[in-house]
Amino acid sequence: MASNQLGTIDRVMIYTSTGLILLGVVVLGIVELLDGAPYTAVKTNNAGEVVATGGIDPAIRTGLVMAGIVLLMLYGAYKMATTDSGSSV
Amino acid sequence: MAYDTSDPTAGAFDISLAHPVAVYWVALLRVITGWWFFHSGMSKLFENGLDYGYGPIYLQGMGDTVLGPLATWMGFNFPDLIAAMVPLGELLIGLGLLFGVLVRLASFFGMFFMSLFWVGNADFNHGLVNGDLMGLLMFATMIVLAAGRYYGLDALIEQTAFVQNHPRLRYLLG
Repeated sequence: MASNQLGTIDRVMIYTSTGLILLGVVVLGIVELLDGAPYTAVKTNNAGEVVATGGIDPAIRTGLVMAGIVLLMLYGAYKMATTDSGSSV
Repeated sequence: MAYDTSDPTAGAFDISLAHPVAVYWVALLRVITGWWFFHSGMSKLFENGLDYGYGPIYLQGMGDTVLGPLATWMGFNFPDLIAAMVPLGELLIGLGLLFGVLVRLASFFGMFFMSLFWVGNADFNHGLVNGDLMGLLMFATMIVLAAGRYYGLDALIEQTAFVQNHPRLRYLLG
């Protein structure tokens, strides 16, 4: 297999990690919009105090994104560990 | 496939930047991102030296976030180390990107910093996508595009016999 082709593990890691990031940011963002005001994860006043929160806990959304990023980092470590001499990276 | 120096981004982890403008642009983004962290680290060093006291306090206050266990563990157990490593880390990450040295390694730590900033600041008043998340993604982009190979010293370092004999190092360089 040429090194610029994606194998099964590559596809699983890339699709899963980017899928988690998109789920946290876009999909749950749409759910939050449809849930109604305040349309954002957190609404603060001029003093910075939280006056309203969105329908989805920001911890859930940031957690999904961080899980995706950690998975991407693990994928990078996997690629580094499995690189043989002469391959392009 | 042998490592192709005429197309430094060819490979499973990269995309090919065929147009010269794209190459210039990636180099520009790398330098701007590097300056961002270099300036942040240098200004902290000027003001507080290696004793940036807000660093551990910030981590200690992240208890109710998704990164809370890691952040509070670092903040409460290694306050002196955090106080020194925040300005020093930002400075080294910035230098790495500015000169294009160990860009992927520097960007990995940049992503770690930005993850803590993004989750810890919790400034989601205008939605989850804010400047901190964009900064995090910018460091990820530096890794994926191997930005150090464009007008960076990594392009020269990767041609040395040592790196040629240890190709895994390209995951830290580039």
